[in-house]
Amino acid sequence: MPERLGERDLEQTLSEIGARLDRPARDMWPAVRERIAERGARPWWSGIGFDGRMLAPVAATLAMILVAAFLLTPDLAARAAEVLVLPGAQIFRISTTPTPMPTTGASVLFPGQRVASLSEAGRVAGFSAREPAALGTPDEIYVELAPVRITLVYRSRSDLPVTALPGVGALIVEFKGSLDAPILGKAIGPGTTLEAVPLSSGNAAYWLAGQPHQFFYRDATGNIQPDTLRLAGNTLLWDAAGVTYRLEAQVTRDEAVRIASSFR
Amino acid sequence: MEGRPAEDAALVERAQHGDTEAYGELVRRYQALATRTAYVITGLSTEAEDAAQDGFTKAYFALGRFRTGAPFRPWLLRIVANEAKNRRKAAGRRPTVDLSIAEDRPSGDTALSPEEAALASERRTFVLGALGKLREEDRLVIAYRYFMQLSEAEMAEALGVARGTVKSRLSRAIGRLREITGSEVAADA
Repeated sequence: MPERLGERDLEQTLSEIGARLDRPARDMWPAVRERIAERGARPWWSGIGFDGRMLAPVAATLAMILVAAFLLTPDLAARAAEVLVLPGAQIFRISTTPTPMPTTGASVLFPGQRVASLSEAGRVAGFSAREPAALGTPDEIYVELAPVRITLVYRSRSDLPVTALPGVGALIVEFKGSLDAPILGKAIGPGTTLEAVPLSSGNAAYWLAGQPHQFFYRDATGNIQPDTLRLAGNTLLWDAAGVTYRLEAQVTRDEAVRIASSFR
Repeated sequence: MEGRPAEDAALVERAQHGDTEAYGELVRRYQALATRTAYVITGLSTEAEDAAQDGFTKAYFALGRFRTGAPFRPWLLRIVANEAKNRRKAAGRRPTVDLSIAEDRPSGDTALSPEEAALASERRTFVLGALGKLREEDRLVIAYRYFMQLSEAEMAEALGVARGTVKSRLSRAIGRLREITGSEVAADA
């Protein structure tokens, strides 16, 4: 270095060095994000021993508690704007459609015992079973006792196209229930639409169309249990004289309303 | 490389509430600054990038302790510098750090004649060599002032010292740098 560096030269040179220092050639965020993910938890709960892997079961438990609260607290349910109340059934929105859960029961397809007639079903279940005149006599009838519900099965035919269950054209589930002791809660996901439609009797019915639905019911010991709608398709829910009815079939809304209005 | 405290504060708040993309924005905003800070300490660019990434990761998990309204930039640099220092310690103490710079990078001094440009380049290499012989703390205070243009308040925060200490620390560091360059010029002569 032939010359002595003056005060200004030194400062100038330092600034020039700064302008030429290496800088990262690429976006560092993906690598940082990966390191953050590797360390797992987020800052605020990492300190109190929370772990990301714990969140799923915690969230699931919370969801179940919330569902139970909805089902068990009529006041809360009545206040919620999106909760529709039928005797024994409540409909409320959830943010995602739950994964359908396998149903265990005496029969692969239908739980409960098979009975020969509507009157026998009524005797076993303890309340009068009814059938829609528009569909005629059901092909099969099942009665469950925990919880008590009657299932009418119609095989697929020209006016009842086949559904997700092979050979089945329509399912009708009837169960007793009241606001104080709801049996069934029905959760609908984002891909599902909900519409209130009147029946010819004047009773209100609710039309659910779209993706598969999950619902919750209370088992014999009083616990809330999840279950899936069997046909994972369009559904009409309504009530009459303390009994709630659920019709599942691949029919139009108007056809479903016509069937529901024909109950005898 | 200018600090944008208001925008930083909004991004920090979003990140504190779990918005990782907001934190990604902060990383992109300060990755060059963080890498330079680490580089001044480690002297190796690969190690500097690694230290900067670890610094960003540690800072993320420390966001819960970040004081609302405080400037983010010096807080981050302090974490990154600590990370780089730890790495250097782990790698074993080296008496000097070999810093290098990209001499082919255009820097707006195109008005210089070829002779002047060659002389400026020679000066840079010379000063850089002297910087490498400085203590870590001296190198860092010079880097914050001349390489990153931090304000006095930011320097105090990044160095973890009182504001009044910054000036004296900087002048002492420059004095030592001048000693090294001076004695080397004398040795050359």
